[in-house]
Amino acid sequence: MNKSTSQGNDKLLIDVGSTYFKVSTADSIEQHFRDFNKDILDDLVHRCGDTIDRFDKDDVHICSSANGGLSTLIIGVTNSFSLKYATNIAFNSGINIIDTILYQNIEEYSIPSDLVDVVIIVGGIDSCAGIFNESLYNYLSQLNYSNVVFVGSEQDAPVLKQNIENIAILPNIIDNKLHIVEEHLKEYLTNLYQQDIEGKEDIKNLYDITANQIYSTPYIVNKTLPHIDARYSVVDPFILLDIGGATTDIHYSKDLVDDNLVTENEYDRMVFKKLGVYKSKQSLIFAAQNNEFVYELLMHLKVTENIFNEQSEKATRILMQLAIFLVLCKISHYRKAYINLKLLAINSIVLTGGITKVLTTEEIEDIVSFFYKKILTSDHKPVVVLDTNYDIWTLGAKG
Amino acid sequence: MKVVTGVVGNDIHVVANRLIDLSLRARGFEVFNLGVNTYLEEFFDAVVETGADVLLISSLNGEAEGWSREVKPLKAKYKNLDNLIMMIGGNLVVGSGDAEQIVPKYKNYGFDLVCHQIDLNTGLDWLEELIEKRNLK
Repeated sequence: MNKSTSQGNDKLLIDVGSTYFKVSTADSIEQHFRDFNKDILDDLVHRCGDTIDRFDKDDVHICSSANGGLSTLIIGVTNSFSLKYATNIAFNSGINIIDTILYQNIEEYSIPSDLVDVVIIVGGIDSCAGIFNESLYNYLSQLNYSNVVFVGSEQDAPVLKQNIENIAILPNIIDNKLHIVEEHLKEYLTNLYQQDIEGKEDIKNLYDITANQIYSTPYIVNKTLPHIDARYSVVDPFILLDIGGATTDIHYSKDLVDDNLVTENEYDRMVFKKLGVYKSKQSLIFAAQNNEFVYELLMHLKVTENIFNEQSEKATRILMQLAIFLVLCKISHYRKAYINLKLLAINSIVLTGGITKVLTTEEIEDIVSFFYKKILTSDHKPVVVLDTNYDIWTLGAKG
Repeated sequence: MKVVTGVVGNDIHVVANRLIDLSLRARGFEVFNLGVNTYLEEFFDAVVETGADVLLISSLNGEAEGWSREVKPLKAKYKNLDNLIMMIGGNLVVGSGDAEQIVPKYKNYGFDLVCHQIDLNTGLDWLEELIEKRNLK
């Protein structure tokens, strides 16, 4: 077939999410709700076949978060160092963390029944030896996993290699000053993620329409952040919330973390896996019902708890407003996540994803100000910026 | 021998912290300095990650009092810290206080060595004596 209009800098950018897919050309951007009875490629061709046909495979760039990403379980020896460092690296590599295990209590943890894509074992600086023993091997023998990697003390590496089949050994992520060393584990996880995307049948089919590598969406977004001011007047420090159908991603300036984590990245990422307004709706409602301020927020929004049982546009709006509030709670001192951000120092909150098509700036500002008043007892008002046209994604996807 | 050190709580007395670091190194210790504004859990976690034998906490503005009350319950959550030498030094109360009352109080909080307004070198001599006594050297 002749690709008549694919020329010069024209590119077709496609983002496949768990709920929507977005298709962007130089002149337009369209968004479609996915048909889950169809294969992703069939669905795409059905909705946007004409547009796709206009482009050469070389000019089509696709990113996806729809495959759910890789799951990891991290076993580390302390919360402040090994678990925190590995968690940070996993998030920045686009990996979902299903659990973290404090090694000294490993016998008290239940074994996840689902297949874990990668187990990360970490602990000890290189001069520390004999950290792990039989309890680790017992736990692993009951766990169903595809990959296992050790990034702890180099003195323990040979013992683990002897006792754990097919374990990958990488340099320690904790150096002798107790600082984080990211690069090796990050590269390993990013490669695994890439292989996973390429291996998933649904995604694999998408290579019929592109000759380029398919990237994970968080990778593309993170790439854009240093250039965000090319599109918006965003004042540092800022957070970017991507509230999607299944998960919520938070990308944040490193200035917002007052912590022992010293990395070279300007921005980090955190994921709340079960916080979304479509696929993860039930867990979002559950989280809301367990938050003591939510009923006050519902009153503020002039609705009752019955809204959770409704299937309407209004119910979706309320869920999205709740999602913003819950995410802010999760990264504040009110609900301690693995990292707390200095929310009083934020100058801008950027929102991207489907939420920008549903809520107005005023509605979001209202929730943000409710959060600051109730949780942080402050009148602080960061500027809300809506990425309505998915500029952040297109900027990153264009490379 | 490995020592984890740092200044506890919301205390930014970095000069004393640096002097402790230098003095420990001069005596041949391997030092892991967590710096100022360090929380208790970070101290214990650093001991676990490094396999340190000694935890030396310093405090100059009286912050130690509040934090030290948490030492015993927190340390009890760790399974392998029974042999850790716990030392604290600096100005351990707000204003002035009587060492005869302060030292037993901090020992009761779980510290083996308590150096309230004691010269740094004297404190480190005490540390070396205790290490020798425990046959750790």
